[in-house]
Amino acid sequence: MEILVCVKRVPDSEAQIEVKEGKALKIEEKYTMNFFDNLAVEEALRIKEKVGGKVTVLTFGSASSLDVLRTALAMGADEAILIEDENIPYKDEFVTAKVLSKVIKDIPYDLILCGREAFDTSSGLVGPFLGKMLGIPVITMVTKVEVKPEERQLEVEREIEEGRELLKVKLPALLTTQKGLNEPRVPTVMGLMKAMKASIKRIKAEDLGIKPDSILEEMKVEISKLWEEKKKRQIRWIKGTPLEMVKELIELLKTEARVL
Amino acid sequence: MGGILIYGEHREGKLKRVSYELLSKGREIARELGEKVKAVILGNRIEEAAREASSYVDEVFVFEDPILENYNSEVYLQILERLIRREGPSLIMAGATLQARELFPLLGGVLECSVIVECIDIKREDGRLSYVKPFYGGKILGEVIPKKPPHIVLVRPRVFPVKEKPSEQGLIKKMEVQVDMSKVGLSTLNVFKVKEKVTDITEADVVVCGGRGLKAPENFKLLMELAEVLGGAVGATRAVVDAGWRPQSEQVGKSGKTVSPNLYLAIGLSGAIHHVMGMDSSKVVVAINKDPTAPIFEYADYGLVADLFEVVPILIEELKKERG
Amino acid sequence: MDFSLTEEQEFFRRTVREVVEKMIIPKAEEIDQSDEFPWELWREFTKLGYLGLRYPPEYGGMGLDKVSCMIFYEEITRGSVGFAQSVIMNMLMGTHFIYRFGTEEMKQRCLIPAIRGEKIATICFTEDQSGSDLASIRTTAVKDGKYWVINGKKQWITNGPICDFATVLATTDPSKGLKGLNFFLVEKGTPGFYPGQKIQKIGCRGTVTGELIFDNVRVPEENLLGEEGKGIQYLQEILDEIRIMTGAMALGIARAAYEEALEYARKRVAFGHPIGHYQLIRAKFADMATELDAARLLVWRAAWMLDKGLTCTKEAIMAKMFATETCIKVVDECTRIYGANGMALEYAPQRHFRDARFLLYGGGTHEVLRDYLGRLILGKL
Repeated sequence: MEILVCVKRVPDSEAQIEVKEGKALKIEEKYTMNFFDNLAVEEALRIKEKVGGKVTVLTFGSASSLDVLRTALAMGADEAILIEDENIPYKDEFVTAKVLSKVIKDIPYDLILCGREAFDTSSGLVGPFLGKMLGIPVITMVTKVEVKPEERQLEVEREIEEGRELLKVKLPALLTTQKGLNEPRVPTVMGLMKAMKASIKRIKAEDLGIKPDSILEEMKVEISKLWEEKKKRQIRWIKGTPLEMVKELIELLKTEARVL
Repeated sequence: MGGILIYGEHREGKLKRVSYELLSKGREIARELGEKVKAVILGNRIEEAAREASSYVDEVFVFEDPILENYNSEVYLQILERLIRREGPSLIMAGATLQARELFPLLGGVLECSVIVECIDIKREDGRLSYVKPFYGGKILGEVIPKKPPHIVLVRPRVFPVKEKPSEQGLIKKMEVQVDMSKVGLSTLNVFKVKEKVTDITEADVVVCGGRGLKAPENFKLLMELAEVLGGAVGATRAVVDAGWRPQSEQVGKSGKTVSPNLYLAIGLSGAIHHVMGMDSSKVVVAINKDPTAPIFEYADYGLVADLFEVVPILIEELKKERG
Repeated sequence: MDFSLTEEQEFFRRTVREVVEKMIIPKAEEIDQSDEFPWELWREFTKLGYLGLRYPPEYGGMGLDKVSCMIFYEEITRGSVGFAQSVIMNMLMGTHFIYRFGTEEMKQRCLIPAIRGEKIATICFTEDQSGSDLASIRTTAVKDGKYWVINGKKQWITNGPICDFATVLATTDPSKGLKGLNFFLVEKGTPGFYPGQKIQKIGCRGTVTGELIFDNVRVPEENLLGEEGKGIQYLQEILDEIRIMTGAMALGIARAAYEEALEYARKRVAFGHPIGHYQLIRAKFADMATELDAARLLVWRAAWMLDKGLTCTKEAIMAKMFATETCIKVVDECTRIYGANGMALEYAPQRHFRDARFLLYGGGTHEVLRDYLGRLILGKL
């Protein structure tokens, strides 16, 4: 089976992030592979171990994204492709999916795996966009995958509000991963060595016929402002008899805090 | 052309709460902009949902058919795509539920338009709408402006209030259900309704955490009940874990687990910094402690200086009443 | 001058860091509190193959450059000092002489399993009466036909009580002083070779440290590693590396303390502000960051010289001393930043504080090293 995995380099969830002047972000130098993409790489490797095939990882980013490609190679992926993004500070999910689809169109594949969403954007758009651009079925929030290669289909469990759903889907298909799908492996030293020496294919956006200006035009959204979520808590004392306190608390949690 | 379309998500014919929230908000925006607001509902046996929705909007498109009884992304997508291409709404709103988070990005893909996921506020300036959403796990908020219509916006539940049902009655339009099954590449084999008790505190939306103030291990039963009513999980401080009252897996703190639920209830615990470092990024923190000088109050949004054994049982009662 | 790591080194560093964070850090406190060797973690971790970094591929190693090795030592020590000591013993001191001078059979029997984590290695210098003064050791090796008979008691041996084989420093001729010192391979199961008392330590807990007893232990003559009388010369070969490695370990401990204190200073509130808001606390971080950076540069520079085959005795001593003394300062400051909490077993700084002490004598005491470095600079007067 030819499996493609789309990965993204994102800041670590503990990294300090500050907004400087309107839109520019200052991010602490702590980057890692997006958590859900890590699950995708692991699942691809498990499928390959079961039914044989090849795992290729792709990313659309700057040269610093080579890092996450190497991590995937160290885990056991066979090939990696970097599509260079000309250092555009923000490209939206639509552009990302479009660029990925242009590259993927020329690669033979049976299955594409993506993370359900990226830590930085928390949108979960690239997977579904990509699936539609390629004209293949998409299943999101996958918690279990069973391959039926002879029938050219998969049996997939995905998370829904009420619990789980078991679906059948024909290949080729695109799946996005959800927490609980698997426990990603730790790279061995042999894997590390292989990854360090591996040559990674680099494609420039221009080679795909995309110019930096046109990328900006293709974007569907514009971010006009960014700001930090204020974290200084100002305590609000709730007083009265126990019953009064409880009633006021519930009211506040419903209307003000909106967590009930 | 133009106008607002609300996706009326429902469960077995009953509109979800978030649908009411968006019907309310959609109606409000439409009135402000002088536009029409409509709704669309897909399913089977959805007359009641349609009627409920019609009070808020000018028109409800009802797609009713056994084939739509269970959600199938490809089937629903075909219907929505056709409707939207025909009606041309400028704004499409749905609650950011698991279903919508799959369906609407797919819709955005086929319509080649913007999709904003997890919107927590809608702003209006110079007649232009912009949407606020979180980035970087909520550390940063941003204002996003789609370049062209339609805007597809998935709104986080509980952000907008449900307004009282208006006495008006919009039009209910029964639509023809046409689905090309040859184009549907996936099908549901089974649905497992699992009411899994949330045991992993790092996954829970609500964490009810107890400390030494609980006085004895048996008293944690109280917190378990509270957690159940709130649909959350029980956490514990290091002190009670060390004392053997609660398992290590429930420990919140530097040497335990770090949690960031929507709601964190710190009950009968003092709030040692070591513990605080494990829950400080919770969205809303409520502290209940007899001692007004307990450090936990420095890290809480709401503080109740009270005897937890008096307050918690009442809290459970009142919450149960809320559930109905 | 290029101060940056290569792309591969950066990738290596990041990967090791993630592995440590995933596998070792969650167990660090338990290892410290129980003071028990973490067998399960050992098995899991050694399976990944990191113990062979220094050795060539034909022994299951990676043949990695010394700078990368130092990065590894730093990262793993940041995770858990107790665990790191055992790992590094298997990687460096405990196996080096077998790699250099052992027979192929010895390598098959000891080196390769040690790299795989299947056997535990150790090296024995110290005795009750002899620490820095190696010439004064009393463990003897006497030739008897085709055998050497070893007698003596070694102290402060890392992995000692649990080792499968040991490289033992013994004297074949006390009258020759340093020139009588030699390394011998002694394997578990050899009659007369057994572990003695375990030492209860305040830091580096989880590493089993203790006595090893040699009571008329007979080993075949090939167990003398290398040529007779050249023990000290062979030791000089890796002394620089051992010192730089100790410096790297110092960086790991210091960084662990520093990062914890940083998070604490950002969160802990006093007088209405996180304490990191106040000048004196900020000043502490400014100083710690500067010294840590300086220490790291010294360690990497010395490692770089090793890679280039340059003599780096002075630089290795500088790296070891400066990194250690910086670490001692940093762990002290970090406990102060925690205030009273710095005393509590519940918080990590006290562990780093306790762990850091071994650096003052591991790889050479600073009293001896300082004097030695001074002598190297001033020459024979």
